[in-house]
Amino acid sequence: MTAAASIIEGRGLAKSYGAITALSSLDLTVGRGERVALVGPSGSGKTTLLYILAGLIPLDHGQLVLRSKPVADLRPGKELSEIVGLVQQQLDLVPQLPVIQNVLAGRLGQWGLLRSLASMFSAHERGEVVEALSRLGIADKIDERTSQLSGGEQQRVAIARLMLQAPRIILADEPVSSLDPARAEEILRLLTEVAADSDRTIIASLHAPELIRKYFSRVIGLREGKFQFDIPVQELTTQRLDALYDLDRRHQS
Amino acid sequence: MIWTGVTKARGAARFLETRRLLTLVLAGALVWSLTGVDWGGGIVHTGGGNAFKEFLTALFPPELSPGFLKLAIAASWQTLVHAVAGITLALAIGLALGVVASGSLGHLGRSRLAIAVAARFLLAIMRSIHELVWAVLFVTAFGLSSLAVVLAIAIPYAGILGRIYSELLNDVPDGPLDGLRSSGASPAKVLVYGRIPLALTDMIGYSFYRFECAIRAAAIMSFVGIRGLGYEIQLSLNDLLFSEVWTLLLFLVGLVLLVDYWSTRVRRSLGS
Ligand SMILES: Nc1ncnc2c1ncn2[C@@H]1O[C@H](COP(=O)(O)OP(=O)(O)O)[C@@H](O)[C@H]1O
Ligand SMILES: [Mg+2]
Repeated sequence: MTAAASIIEGRGLAKSYGAITALSSLDLTVGRGERVALVGPSGSGKTTLLYILAGLIPLDHGQLVLRSKPVADLRPGKELSEIVGLVQQQLDLVPQLPVIQNVLAGRLGQWGLLRSLASMFSAHERGEVVEALSRLGIADKIDERTSQLSGGEQQRVAIARLMLQAPRIILADEPVSSLDPARAEEILRLLTEVAADSDRTIIASLHAPELIRKYFSRVIGLREGKFQFDIPVQELTTQRLDALYDLDRRHQS
Repeated sequence: MIWTGVTKARGAARFLETRRLLTLVLAGALVWSLTGVDWGGGIVHTGGGNAFKEFLTALFPPELSPGFLKLAIAASWQTLVHAVAGITLALAIGLALGVVASGSLGHLGRSRLAIAVAARFLLAIMRSIHELVWAVLFVTAFGLSSLAVVLAIAIPYAGILGRIYSELLNDVPDGPLDGLRSSGASPAKVLVYGRIPLALTDMIGYSFYRFECAIRAAAIMSFVGIRGLGYEIQLSLNDLLFSEVWTLLLFLVGLVLLVDYWSTRVRRSLGS
């Protein structure tokens, strides 16, 4: 039952960097269409976990099955990019390229090399880019150099890229950390809307409790590479969050 | 324990002594070598002062007769053509070898790594030989032809450009590259959509700088008998026609300034 409904099945996920244990033997099962918030102080392993789920860094130990296929068996490129996609803070765009090329990068997994090369000189699928950008309210920026856009606008470009990639699982690493509260809310709304479109799964790391309560269904607390809690969002209490973040502060001093 | 401590201290003292002694010896050698230089009439040509004055005054005015200007323009054109052809070929070879040498075309498996190392080695050989030496080789092989000059410039410059390109392509931030990889981009697509756009401004800036150097190099090919600005400068110098030399030098400076201006415009349009 769970096996059929779940899209992520991780067993004993472990990753170390030299002497530092970034993730220690985590079990994680996420169902189709779930909206999971990942919380935890910095250095707790959120980025590492998301990168592992995205297939960007290899596991030391453990088993990761995405959509009933071991991640090692998924062909990088087309097959993997249909299943997972990642948004980071605005760092993940190429600032020198025009907006349209950054959005079309979402197609690179599907396109062959020749098509990718040709599109760099004369953009393919412009219509779909216009459609995605209009939905995000920045269609007028399509030909602008990406570095000219504000932080919030760049984050929308990253979401547009994700819309063209259209992966089953959307991973977002602190997508709103560098934005002011109003813009952060707007970006999360757009991101979760895109996810809800066709029952996509979303896992995002973020710190703001009110945004977590509003846009997510499940919360996982991470500290020093271990899950501290994994609860429905209704059970998220201030004490729990305080404990998660405070414990670390006591630990560091 | 105590013993090793003592010997260590003594060893350190001896090391310091040796170092001081060495410094003294080297400084002495330097001073002594200065006495080895013949500061007298030998090194400065007697009457050199006069010749130099003559050379300077010849600037007012330089040779501006229509006939000579025509010759200067033709020579400048020749030099420019050699430089452009040489640098263009160098760009193509340098980019291809630089990409391979950077290892950014794939995860470095054993054979990929071997290929990258081979490319780096090849680039090192190409740039460690001076363009004039290459010119001697190619003139011997192909005679006094433009092909010889173009190759003599292209090969060492490709070596330098390839080395710099491979560093610039590797020296880009990881964030955007990870973004592309998470969209399913292969290393080759990451190169085209990430590394090259991220490094392009620096690559172009450096290439223009090398273009300026290529003009200088093309001019100096006169040493192996190739025609162009350098060749004419040599002829005029031999005849002690300094105002002609000045005209030719001004044309050379003009060429370099032209490239500089072009470079500024291109970089501005890239919005760096
Ligand atoms: N490339 C790396 N090399 C060495 N250590 C790393 C690397 N990436 C992460 N770490 C370490 O792994 C731990 C988890 O980091 P990270 O996943 O970035 O945490 P978070 O995203 O929650 O801040 C930290 O102690 C961090 O220093
Ligand atoms: Mg992080």
